[in-house]
This record gives sequence, C-alpha cells and structure tokens, in this order.
Amino acid sequence: MTSASAIHQASERIINAYKSGKADKPIRDLLDKGDIDGAYAVQEDVTLWRLREGARLVGRKIGLTAKAVQTQLGVDQPDYGMLFDDMAVPDGEEIPASRVSQPRVEAEVAYILDKDLHLDKPSTADVIRAVAYAAPAIEVVDSRIANFDITIVDTVADNASSGLFILGNDKVALDGFDGRMCGMVVENRGEPVSVGAGAACLGHPINAVRWLAEVMTARGRPLSAGDVVMSGALGPMVPAAKGEVYEARINGLGSVRAVFGA
Amino acid sequence: MAVDIQKLAKTVDDAAVKATAIPQLSKKSRMTLKQAYRVQAASIDRRLERGEERSGMKMGFTSRAKMVQMGLSDMIWGRLTDGMLVEDGAVINLKDYVHPRVEPEIAYLLGAPLAGPTTPMAAMAAVEAVAPALEIIDSRYRAFKFNLQDVVADNASSSGYVIGPWCPPDMDLDNLGVVMEVNGRPATIGSSAAILGHPGRSLAAASRMAAEAGEILEAGWVVMAGGVTEAVALEKGVSVRNTVQGLGSVGFRVKG
Repeated sequence: MTSASAIHQASERIINAYKSGKADKPIRDLLDKGDIDGAYAVQEDVTLWRLREGARLVGRKIGLTAKAVQTQLGVDQPDYGMLFDDMAVPDGEEIPASRVSQPRVEAEVAYILDKDLHLDKPSTADVIRAVAYAAPAIEVVDSRIANFDITIVDTVADNASSGLFILGNDKVALDGFDGRMCGMVVENRGEPVSVGAGAACLGHPINAVRWLAEVMTARGRPLSAGDVVMSGALGPMVPAAKGEVYEARINGLGSVRAVFGA
Repeated sequence: MAVDIQKLAKTVDDAAVKATAIPQLSKKSRMTLKQAYRVQAASIDRRLERGEERSGMKMGFTSRAKMVQMGLSDMIWGRLTDGMLVEDGAVINLKDYVHPRVEPEIAYLLGAPLAGPTTPMAAMAAVEAVAPALEIIDSRYRAFKFNLQDVVADNASSSGYVIGPWCPPDMDLDNLGVVMEVNGRPATIGSSAAILGHPGRSLAAASRMAAEAGEILEAGWVVMAGGVTEAVALEKGVSVRNTVQGLGSVGFRVKG
C-alpha cells in the first residue's frame, strides 16, 4: 500500500499544477505500481482542496468506458472524476486559451439526476428512476500531467483527466431516446472528426451511470439529486486546436458546441 | 505502353472465381485510373456473360480519413451483380473467398434512375427505400495490398452484399448509430455521419461517377453508400449482424 506521505506528495504535485497552470511530471513514481485505490486517495485529496477553496461539487464524469481505451490502459473497468461548478461552460461560449492546457474533446450523453442514488447496489431501474433528463454534452478532457504521459494511476489521481464540460441546452426525457443506438458525430469545419454511437459507452450509457452510482456510494460520495453525470465518450477523443469549433450531435438529443479561443 | 484490358480483366475475374490471391496488377502493368475502371467493366462483362445480372453500384473510400490515408482526392466505386447478393440470414463459406472482411453499410434502393451530376437532395428524391446492409469485401490481391489502380480494377474489392429490411426513406439519415456485432458482441461502432458527413452525399457522388463511365443508375438498382466503420476479418463459424438506428438489422453466418 502506498504510504500516506506519498499520497500527499502526489496530491501536492497535482495541486501545484492547477495553481501554476503548468502541467507537471506524472505521479506514478510516488505510488505503488498499479495502486488504483492509492490514486483515488490522491484524487480525493485534491477534491478536498478544491472544496476548501470554495468550489462546489456539481456532478461526476465517467471515463474509460470504451473497451479499446480500457485495453490501452490495461484495466477492465471505467474510472471517475469530480465535476465542479467552475468546470461548466455554457454551450457555444468561447473558452479562453488560458483556461485549458492540452485540451481534447469527446461527445457524451449527460444525465441530470433529480433523485438521490444512495443505494449500495442500485439496479438499472433505480438509475433510470433517478434521472430527470438527458442532454448532449462535450467533455473537454485535459491533464495536469505534461504531454498526457499517463498510466491508469496518473489519470485517476488527476481527476480522471477532467477539464471542462459543456451541456447542451435542450432537456430530453429518456422516453423515446435510444441510448444504445443513438448516432454521434463531432464535426469540425464541416468534417466528421469523431463518430460513434451510444453502444460505445459500456453497451449503453446508463450501464456506466449504474456502475458509477454503486462505486460512489461505496466511496462515500454518493450521487445525489441535482448531480450532472457525464456518462462517457460515444466515440474517439479528438485533440482540440486553438481557435477551432467542435460541434457534437447526438441523434435524439440535439447538439452542443465547444468553441476554443485563439 | 499498351494495357491489355481484357487480359487483366480475366486475371481479376479468375482470381474471384477461383478464390485465389494474385499479385498486384500494377507490378507488371502501368494502368491509368481510367484504364483500371475499364478493366473493372470488362471483368464485370465476364460475369454478365456467365448469366449474372447487373444489380447496382457500391461506393468506396467514402470517409475523408480513409481518402487521406490512401492519398486520394475522390471516392472509388464498383459494380454489383446479382451473383454477389448474399441473402439476409444466409450462411457463407470461407472457401468461396480469398480473405474476406465485412463492414457495416447503408443501402439505397432506387425508385427512379439517376443520371449525371446531381445534388444529395435530388439524389435522395430518387430513393425508394433504405436498408441496413453489410458488405463482404475481399481483395483478390495478396495480403489485401493494392494501389488505387489495383483496387479499382478489382471492382473496389466487392465480393458480396447483404441487405436487411427495406424501410421507407422518411427519416433523416445523417446521424444514425451503427453497431456491427460479431457473435453478439459489438465489433465496430459508428454513425452514418462517417459517410461523407451524410450518406446522401455518397449517392450523389455515385450518380456523378457512374456518368463519368457513361452509365446511369437504373431504377431498381441497389447503391451501397460506403463503409461506416473499419472492416473486420471474417473467421469460420462467426455470426455477423449490423444494426442501424431506426432501420433494423441484417446479418449472416460463416460456415464453421
């Protein structure tokens, strides 16, 4: 098990990267090899720092929901990170270059809860009952670790490489929305740069939310009414370039834009 | 340098009939793209002489990424005959192919002919029905290695096509989720948007490119719009299914 002082050192490195706005070395040298629990302990340290600084916890993101990405990182389950109020960007609002470090975008289904999900073993039915509505969303993935030189413990410690999140403005009820088969395309300058479908996220994005709900209850930060859940990418992640606009469309949910300042 | 169109056509046609890999034609014959299409036409004529009937057209390299990867600025196309049709739910035998792969597609059934350059909107007006589809591609070249002229001469690697239930074309086709499963597990996942941003653009391109070869797309023909995802190699005993959002599913099996 990784020592408490090593956990602290790792979280300090990440906190300093946030403060300076400059990406730093990976933290894996400080943790026992493959110590995912230790990595989540680092993440929790950073979360406590964010909360002390006045950030408000508004939701969670799920990562590594594609089989190919799990294989790439040598894991067999997703990971999660915290969404804070200052990570939310309104649809189409320009993101100043100073606000991101090495941004990448991916299109996701966001679920907004209106009931608590505090059960130890929530079922799919429990999850669906707790969802108020779905919205198209873009996650701006980013890293406090230079050049995205990450292993599984680095990304988990670094809030699952969360950057910003953008929710579409249209509220869609789950009735009639085909979460498994919905087509997804991200366009940049009229060209499809990422395509996929709902099934790419653990077979159905709701499966990812169910996984998250169970894990969050176990880890003492259960999903609650009002939380936003970014459920995981429906297609490959795309590097975002300065000055560019990325529009995600999810069939049945509508569209949402990430606009990057030059 | 003279290119013996008929001889090259026989070479690719024989390779398809005997399911045997051949060296790239381009190693010995320097063809222009135009000549490569003439080889393709001549190889299809051999099929027609054997009693097959022309049934449509297929589009290839319809994703911009694939075009860039191949160093191309345009799509390619091939000719379909009824001999290539594999019934939905059928069992195919690997013996009939060289090294077949499968990719998920969307197919159009034309209710009216399409001749010459047209717009996606006008092209779509000629569509009577759309269906989920699978294309069995099988390059006759060793190791699936070819240049542009090779693949065009080899009928754009077409080998078989499978069509699911025909649906009225009354939905927006621009962003339909596509899941191709092998033995029930998703193998590739994509969206119809991968086809040039909208599969209607592929149909308009089909009309333009056929006209360049002096053909029109006939009413009753099938047009395969192009691969939505990468292709997957077929193995003995597998079951393949493509599901397209709102259109349903199509599938076949490979004999064990």
